[in-house]
Amino acid sequence: MFELLGAGLANIVQAKYLVPLFIGTLVGVVGGALPGITITMTVIVVLPFTFGLEPLQGLAAMIGVYVGGETGGLITSCLLGIPGKPSAVATTFDGFPMAKAGEPGRALWLGVWASIFGGLLGAVFLVASTGPLATLALAFGPWEYFSLFILALSMVAGLVESSLVKGLLSGAIGCVVTILGNDPVMGKERLTLGIKFLEGGIPFLPVLIGVFAFAQIMSEVQRMGGGRKALQAVDRGLSLAVSHLRVMWEILSRPVLLLWSTFIGLVIGVLPAIGGSAANMLAYDQAKKFSSRPEKFGTGIPEGIIASEASNNANVAGSLVTIMAFGIPGDAVTAVMLGALTIHGIQSGPLFISQNATLAYGMFAAYIVAHAVALAILLPGVRWMLRIVDIPKAILFPVVVVLCVIGAYALNNTVDNVYVLLVFGVFGYAMVKFGFPLAPFILGVILGDQIEINLIRAVMSDSDPWLFLTRPISGGLLLASVLSFAAALWQHRRVQNRTAAAQGDADF
Amino acid sequence: MLSASLVLFGLTLGLKDNPLVPIGPGFYPRIVLGVTAALSLWLVVADAAGRRSRKPAPAPDHNYLLVGLMFLLFGLYCGALAFLGYRLSTVLYVAAANALLDPPRGARGWGRVALVAVLTAFLTHLVFERYLTVLLPRGTWTGF
Repeated sequence: MFELLGAGLANIVQAKYLVPLFIGTLVGVVGGALPGITITMTVIVVLPFTFGLEPLQGLAAMIGVYVGGETGGLITSCLLGIPGKPSAVATTFDGFPMAKAGEPGRALWLGVWASIFGGLLGAVFLVASTGPLATLALAFGPWEYFSLFILALSMVAGLVESSLVKGLLSGAIGCVVTILGNDPVMGKERLTLGIKFLEGGIPFLPVLIGVFAFAQIMSEVQRMGGGRKALQAVDRGLSLAVSHLRVMWEILSRPVLLLWSTFIGLVIGVLPAIGGSAANMLAYDQAKKFSSRPEKFGTGIPEGIIASEASNNANVAGSLVTIMAFGIPGDAVTAVMLGALTIHGIQSGPLFISQNATLAYGMFAAYIVAHAVALAILLPGVRWMLRIVDIPKAILFPVVVVLCVIGAYALNNTVDNVYVLLVFGVFGYAMVKFGFPLAPFILGVILGDQIEINLIRAVMSDSDPWLFLTRPISGGLLLASVLSFAAALWQHRRVQNRTAAAQGDADF
Repeated sequence: MLSASLVLFGLTLGLKDNPLVPIGPGFYPRIVLGVTAALSLWLVVADAAGRRSRKPAPAPDHNYLLVGLMFLLFGLYCGALAFLGYRLSTVLYVAAANALLDPPRGARGWGRVALVAVLTAFLTHLVFERYLTVLLPRGTWTGF
């Protein structure tokens, strides 16, 4: 393992891989710093540029975007009080008050160094656990895969805060997208509605790009035109210089906080399609609960920044574990990576690491080196990043849309994919407006085919349906699905009762 | 969603089973569409039951006209790609979208719109066609 990692590191520092990694990280830092531009959108923008590259070059660029985005998101959180991305929301709670209190450099660099430490601790988990988990997954038959995918879908749908039914329905609609076109086992045409393009099924990348990019762009567009002024609460002339050794000591002198936040980030990352937005809030909440001075949280203390930033960077490692060991995307960014792998003819899943060891360890190395690259970008360029935030969205959004069109078109050089982009762009925006979560939908689109293939393979191997329950791993996974669903139901009931009680109090 | 899933469910009933496979091509779609229809129905009933007790929420101050126009513009762009080709349709789309989102004032504003549109089309075309060997759409009317 160490030899392969060493070879991966030696490989990734070559100019042909380091340049895309550097550019990806730079784009990620900028995208992460721009409020209203998420890492998912940034990685979607980068996707078409990777089509003409080698697989490791493209994946290095995407990993750079992911790590850079998680690190860059804290810049505006700390200095402007606006989270650059959802996974930096909790950073704002203490980062911005600290910056306003005259310590912007301390707030910023606490976040950056916590991101680096959290990310590198995550790397240890990524490198050490992906291989063993993939080996475990190799013992899976179609029954276990079917149950695993059902568990992934039920967990994601159940974690939706607004409505459990909407979460489940969103996942089911995602699966509906995959049943249009030829059936994946015998290739028999079904539900094409007479549309020739549908015979090959709907490609998932234009769906993903359309749903995520347009849901976000249009959600920003609907708020435009109100003449709102940008917030510039912290004086941009203030010095951001700090003693880096002192900042590092502030973090390392809180080892339990750092390790626990990293652990939370990893666990949330491993769980499918949840992402850093939940990780940073949960880590912040945990840090507050276990703190000896919880009342100080929100006033500008280092613990809040460390917890949030260590967890969201560790989350990246967790997401990479899931996609590399099981072929299940940990979040939307890794879903795009899954698409990039497919374009290059590489099958993700348990065989990925053994069949593509050079690529897999190259990805590990890219993840580790991306942290150093992000640091190298931020050390001289953090003040410059604040200027980028001023780019007008009226210019940014049309350019992003054009890159989305190229990404969809270039998949197989057909304008039909652009029409899919349009249809699912409208659909994604409508879903957001009606309160349907996007994560279960995308997971349904990605896993729908696999669920069907494994269901049919299982039935073809042995027609006894009880095997799904009597095989220990499969039964355990299905039991976990039921428990996850029951827990989500209980949680929703509790929230509803609490809301109803609060409304009752308000009425009186 | 309820009606769409019911219609599709009806269509799956016409799918013939394959003698080589114990379950036919309609088996899994029926499960998925059945679940979708049941969940949609659940949502409709829950929404109808909740509507009676719920107070109407204040309408948010959102610019839906701008969203509609942006989607319309994007639809026209998608349609134009096949006829006008990538370069011309991109110049037109970026200029129109930019002008719509931030209406230009005076010649300088229009100059900025034109510059952004031409630069976007030119640079993306250069990078993708020349360096990344990604062929972008040619227009049937324009030939480029």
